[in-house]
Amino acid sequence: MTARTADFDAILGYLELKYRQAGQLDPGQPEPALAPDYDLIENRVIDSLEFVEFVLLVEEHSGREISIDLLSREDFRTLESIRKRFFDDP
Amino acid sequence: MSELEIEAFDAVGERTRPPYATVAQRLDQDSRFRDVLDRLVGISERDYYNPYRLFEWPRSLPQDRYWMTPELMAEHCTEAGSALTEPQLYAVSKWQSINFYSLNVHGIRGLLNGLIARIHTADFAVPSAYFHHIIGEENEHMWFFAEFCLRYGGKIYPARSMSLAEPGIPAADHFLVFARLLIFEELVDVFNQRMAKDERLDPTIRKLNEVHHRDESRHIAFGRQIVAMLHADLAQRIDEAGLRTLESHLKRYMRTSVEGLCEPLVYRDAGVPEPYAMRRRLLADPAYPGYVERLLRRSISFLTGAGIFTSGLFEAPAAIGASR
Repeated sequence: MTARTADFDAILGYLELKYRQAGQLDPGQPEPALAPDYDLIENRVIDSLEFVEFVLLVEEHSGREISIDLLSREDFRTLESIRKRFFDDP
Repeated sequence: MSELEIEAFDAVGERTRPPYATVAQRLDQDSRFRDVLDRLVGISERDYYNPYRLFEWPRSLPQDRYWMTPELMAEHCTEAGSALTEPQLYAVSKWQSINFYSLNVHGIRGLLNGLIARIHTADFAVPSAYFHHIIGEENEHMWFFAEFCLRYGGKIYPARSMSLAEPGIPAADHFLVFARLLIFEELVDVFNQRMAKDERLDPTIRKLNEVHHRDESRHIAFGRQIVAMLHADLAQRIDEAGLRTLESHLKRYMRTSVEGLCEPLVYRDAGVPEPYAMRRRLLADPAYPGYVERLLRRSISFLTGAGIFTSGLFEAPAAIGASR
């Protein structure tokens, strides 16, 4: 596993936890897979108030300082767009 | 009674009034609200000043003293904070102050967007004359806060927040905009009032806070009136479950607003190792909830008195049907 993959796994773990909470699943229920194109914003996995915490997590694990002025909500919409914008090499 | 002490809002009386067809009617037919607006416009006109000539802006500020009141910093009385040396604390206080004024710059941008979207619209015809004063004054505040950051920090810290999913109650849009503005202004004012008088701080910093506090006390007086009125209006338009959803949202907004004061980039710039872990340690410290409640005490008291909050800041709203 590369360092980059390990960093992205931290983001995946956070979002899967939020996905489970947003879906209000019972603790015993098996974890549903979070699809790469699942809409995290439309489905309220991250909302406005959750967002800053999430941005700091992405910043910490990607090593890239994040200024919201330079980004759009599309950069955060899916797992795939997050990986592409912050974790794939430029 | 000082000129800014507005008569306490009678939330219960307001809730028992007959429903109005529109928000505009409610604002228009409240003579007390109109009186408050007239007084606030009068004070704004009388006390108008030129901020661009008000400050002296020395070339630099001393690095070997506090830039923020240490008791107001999130590090105060925490385990992580007590591990910092005095020079480290001075450095943290410098970058904390740049972060505090940066948060003001970004917060004012949101405030201006909210007001400009509403000025001279049908719902807000009555307070529009005062909106002109708030917009003008906030524009000037944004200028002097940005000027401070750029002169003494060489930058404004980046904006972190983005508007995504809201609570999903369209009828509450006006209420949420003004409630968040009020909470933001009251939180900032806790710092302004204290730092304006703190002789450990440089006179430039004290003056910045003193000038801001003078204008904000008017905006807060206005904000309390309109937030209570809009909530009373909403209580006659949506059900109790909706009101509880809004209460939970505002509590989360308050808590995340204070978390903005634990910015990792501050610790990075102050040379504190592991800046993201530093934020996590502060948020998990047993002293942290008390710090949050101290900063928000005035707002919590107002929101509870106006019937907007039914329980404590860290508690779930009261059960539906429970007496307030």
